[in-house]
Amino acid sequence: MSYSKENVESIVNNGISRRSFLKGLAASGVLSSFPGGILQANEDLNTKIPYLGEKSYQTFRNACPRNCYDTCSIKTYVKDGVMQFIEGATESTYTRGGCCVKGNSYVKRVYSARRLKFPMMQVGGKGSGNWKRISWDQAMDIIAKKLLEMKKEDGTLLGAALTKYSGNFGITHYGIEGMFNSIGYTTRLAGTPCWPAGIDAQNLDMGDMWCNDPEEMKDSKFIILWGVNPASNSVHSMKYIYEAKKKGAKVVVIDPVFTEAASKASQYIQIKTGTDGLLALGMAKIIIDANLHDQKWLDANSKGYKEYKAYLDKEIKLDNVSKITGIPLAMIKELALSFAKAKPATIWMGYGMQRHTNGGSMIRAIDAFVAVSGNIGKYAGGARYGHLSTWGFNYAALSQPKPEGSVGYTGPEGAKGEFAQVGGEKAAYTDRFLNINKTARELINAKEPKVRLLWVACKNVFAQDFDRNQLIRAFQQLDLVVVADQFFNETAKWADIVLPVATQFEEYDVNVSYWHYWLTLNEQAIKPLFEVKSDLEIAAMLSKRMNQLQPGSCTFPQSVDTKAMMVKEFNPGIYEQFGIKSWEELKNGPVKAKAVIPYADGKFKTPSGKFEFYSDKALELFGSALPTYLEVRKPYDKFRMTSPHSRWSLHSQFQNLEWMEDVHPEPYVYINPEDAEAKMVKEGDTVAVFNKQGLLRLKAKLTDNVQAGTVLMYEQWYNNNIYNVNELVDDTSSDMGAFKTGAPGVALHDTFVNFRKL
Amino acid sequence: MQKAFLVDGSICLGCNTCAMACKNQYHQDKGILWRKVREIGAEEYHIDNNNILPTLVSYQKAPKAEMPMERFYFSLACNHCENPACVAICPVGAHTKDPETGICKHDQTICIGCGGCVKACPFGASKFNEKMGQAEKCSMCWERQADGKTTACVQSCPVGAIAIIDLHDPKYKEYANAAPIGIDYAINAETKPSTRFIHPSMPKEVYRLPKG
Ligand code: SF4
Ligand code: SF4
Ligand code: SF4
Ligand code: SF4
Repeated sequence: MSYSKENVESIVNNGISRRSFLKGLAASGVLSSFPGGILQANEDLNTKIPYLGEKSYQTFRNACPRNCYDTCSIKTYVKDGVMQFIEGATESTYTRGGCCVKGNSYVKRVYSARRLKFPMMQVGGKGSGNWKRISWDQAMDIIAKKLLEMKKEDGTLLGAALTKYSGNFGITHYGIEGMFNSIGYTTRLAGTPCWPAGIDAQNLDMGDMWCNDPEEMKDSKFIILWGVNPASNSVHSMKYIYEAKKKGAKVVVIDPVFTEAASKASQYIQIKTGTDGLLALGMAKIIIDANLHDQKWLDANSKGYKEYKAYLDKEIKLDNVSKITGIPLAMIKELALSFAKAKPATIWMGYGMQRHTNGGSMIRAIDAFVAVSGNIGKYAGGARYGHLSTWGFNYAALSQPKPEGSVGYTGPEGAKGEFAQVGGEKAAYTDRFLNINKTARELINAKEPKVRLLWVACKNVFAQDFDRNQLIRAFQQLDLVVVADQFFNETAKWADIVLPVATQFEEYDVNVSYWHYWLTLNEQAIKPLFEVKSDLEIAAMLSKRMNQLQPGSCTFPQSVDTKAMMVKEFNPGIYEQFGIKSWEELKNGPVKAKAVIPYADGKFKTPSGKFEFYSDKALELFGSALPTYLEVRKPYDKFRMTSPHSRWSLHSQFQNLEWMEDVHPEPYVYINPEDAEAKMVKEGDTVAVFNKQGLLRLKAKLTDNVQAGTVLMYEQWYNNNIYNVNELVDDTSSDMGAFKTGAPGVALHDTFVNFRKL
Repeated sequence: MQKAFLVDGSICLGCNTCAMACKNQYHQDKGILWRKVREIGAEEYHIDNNNILPTLVSYQKAPKAEMPMERFYFSLACNHCENPACVAICPVGAHTKDPETGICKHDQTICIGCGGCVKACPFGASKFNEKMGQAEKCSMCWERQADGKTTACVQSCPVGAIAIIDLHDPKYKEYANAAPIGIDYAINAETKPSTRFIHPSMPKEVYRLPKG
C-alpha cells in the first residue's frame, strides 16, 4: 500500500475520514469539535513502498516556500497523480539534492489526515468547537455580504483587517494583500516580528540589507557565527562552513546558548545575553589600537569614522567590556586580533540577537566592527544578515487597483513591510497600518472605524503573536474572523470561518530566498485534494461574489489560473539577473543570480553614499547617530527565557505532522543544572514555567547548553498540545524596525519567567 | 564487496533529515523509523518502543562519552551485517544477503510476519509493523542504487555525514574496528555489523560563563 491513486481518491471522496460512520456526520453537516479526536483516526494510510526507478515517475519542480533561510529547490516525484516522494534539486549547489527534516515531511503534509479539507463555519460561536461544513459559495457569500455591509455602514472598508505573514513566501502569495488592495482601503497588520531591528540597522549603516552569497563562506578564512545556529536553522549553509574549517579557517560561535552550531565550531564563546553590541565595540577598539584596522578602506568608503573612534576612545573601557559581557579580556583580544589578521573574514549575524530592546544597536555595532576590519565589499567577507536583492518581481498579484470611489485612511502613511515595497502613486487616501507585533491590543484599540472583520492568511496568529488573553478578547469582539490555512490550528479554533488552502504542490508559484541567490519555479504537481483552493483562487471567488452583489466593488480578477499569475511576476530585470530568457527555462531546474559582491564598488545607498558610522537618520529616528552601547531590558522576573526556532518546525508549521512526531514528539524546557538544583527540579520532572503573561506546563531537561539564569524553550506548535511559548512573551518592542518595515520588532528574548516543580 | 554505512559523528548535526528522508521515500507507518539518529550520551535506545532487543546479546557499554545533551549523534539503520541473523532465521527467505553488494535485503512480498528477524537482530534494525503483520527494515535503498542513485538518506544529508563505503576496500582499513562511543551498541555481535563510525569531539576551545 502507499498513497496510491485509489487511497487518495477514497479520502477525497469520503471526506473527513474513511470511517463510514463519520460519513453520516459529515453529511448531516454538524460536527462538534472538528477535527479533534476520532476525526483524526486515519493517520497511517501507508507503509513501505518500493522505489520504482526514475522513469516510472512524473517529476515536477517545487520550492519550499517557508520562512527559512534555505528556500530549497525541490524535485517532486508523482505517480498516477499522487505525490510519492520528494528530493532536493541537484541543480542547485545550495540545496544539493536534499531538503531538511521538515522538507522531507512534505508528502505527509499533503496527505495528512489532519489537513483542513472543506470550508467550515463555527456555528456555535468562536471557540465553541461547534462546526458546520459549508460550501465555498456559502463562505464567499457570507464574507462578501459582510464586507459590503461594513462599507455601507462605515463609508470605508477600513473595518476590514488583514494579517498575513510568512506562512508562504512565494511571490504570488502577495496576491493575498492584492485581494485586500482590490476591495478598497483596508486595515493591515504591518511590520514584521522577524528581523526588523536588524534590517533598520543595516539600512542605517549601508543603505541596504544585502549579504554576500553564503556559498562563498567556503573560502572565508575566519567565520564568526554570531547569535546564529545554522546547524539547526540553515542546515544547507553548514557544508560551506565545514569546508572553510577543513581548509583551516577558524569558526567561532558567539552565543548565550551552546548551540548545535557551537558544538561543531573551532571555538565557542558564551556571552551574557544582550551584551553583544558592547563586545563588538570593544573588539573594534582593540583592532584600531593595534593598528589593524583598514584605514584606506575607511578613508575612501565611510562617513563618521572619526566620531565613532572618538566614541570608542572615550566611552569604551575594555575592562568594562570584559566585565559586562562575561568574557575574559585576553580572549576578546585574541578574537578581535585574529579576525582582523585573517582576510577575508566574515560575520553572520542571526535574527535572535536583534529580538532585544537593544537589538538594532547590537547589529549596528557588529556591522561597524566588520567595516573597521576592512571586510565589507570583499569576496567571502561581509557583515551577513540577509538580502532581498533577488526579489525584484512585478508583484502583479499584489498590485490591484482600488475600486473607484474608495475611501480610506488619511493619517500619516507608514511603510508596508520589508518585502514588497512597490512604489505606488501618492493617493489622497491610504490603508490603515496597525503594528503586527501588537496585534491584540491594536485590534482592540483601533477606532473610527473599529475593526470588524479579520482575514488571517499564511499566519497562525495564536501561535506567533503575543499576549494570548488579549488576543482572545480581540477575536471575540470581531464580527467575522476568516482563517485560511492548511491545518486546524489554535487560530482556526477562534475563527468564524475556516478556508482550506492548497499546499505549494497544488498550485504554481515562484520562489527566491532572503539568504542564498537561487531562483526556483514551483509547479503544480498534483490536483488539489479535497476542496482546497489556492489563496489566489480564494481571492478570485471573493471577487466574483462581491461583483455579483455590487458590480465594481472588487477589482481582483474573478477567475485566476495560478500559472498565469506566476508568469506575470517575471520581468526583464529578473531574467537579466538570473541569465535566463524565459521562466520556462526554470523547468530544467533552479538557476542562480549572476555573482555580485555586495558593496565591492564602494557604493552605499545611504544619504552620504558611504558606510555610515555616523548616521543622521539614526539620530533623527533612534536618538543616536553612532552605533553605541545600549543596555538591554532589565529583568522583571527571576529567569531570562529564550525561545529560539526549533529544527523540527518553521514557526508553527511541520511539528504538528505525524511523521515529525516520530522524530520529535514533545516540547521541553531546558534548564541549567545549577538553577534546577536550586528549585529541586530533576531531569524529566514536569515543571510550570510562568510569568505575568501566562503559564506553561512541560517536562524539564537539565543541560549546561543554557547558561545559569536562563531557561530555553523552542517556538513550536504541536498537534493536540496546548504548549505555546509565545504565551509567555509580552509585546515589548525592540529599538528599531519602524524605519524600513513600518513597525518596530519585538524584544522576544527579553522575556523573563520563573519556574517550579509540579 | 561489503557495502556499509560510514557515519561521521564529527559533522553530524543530529538534524534527522536522513531519518525523515527514509520516511519520505518509503512512508513507514507512524512510530516506525528504519533509520534512527541516536544521541551520544543519551541512553534512549533500549526504551525505543520499536526496538525489540534480544536478551541474549550482551550490550557492551560503549566507551563512555561525556557529551553535552542533544549535540552529538550517530545516524544508524540496519547494519547490513556480514553474518546477518535476520537472514539466518527467516524461514521463508524474505531476508537475503546480496552476494555482490553485501546488502541485506528484506522482501515484504515474501515475509509471512513470523517476527523471527525482529527478535534475532541484535540492533533492533528489523521492525515489526503491527498493522500489516509483517517485518520491515532498511534494505540500503538497493532499488535506488540499482537505478544509479544513492540512498535517500545519503542524498539528503546536508553535510555528507553518511557515506556508503566498501568495507573490503583497503582504503577504509582505518575504520575497521571503530566502535561507536557513547551509545549502547552490540559492537561484538556475532552478526558482524558493517557500520563504521567517525567519532565526534568537542570544539577545541569552549568558554562558558563562570558560575554564579
Ligand atoms: S524548511 Fe528550509 S531547509 Fe527545510 S526544506 Fe524548507 S527551505 Fe529547505
Ligand atoms: S547524518 Fe546527516 S542528515 Fe542525518 S542527522 Fe546527521 S547531519 Fe542530519
Ligand atoms: S542489523 Fe539486524 S536486520 Fe540488519 S543485517 Fe544485521 S541482523 Fe539483519
Ligand atoms: S539506506 Fe534507504 S532504506 Fe536504509 S535508512 Fe537510508 S533511506 Fe532508509
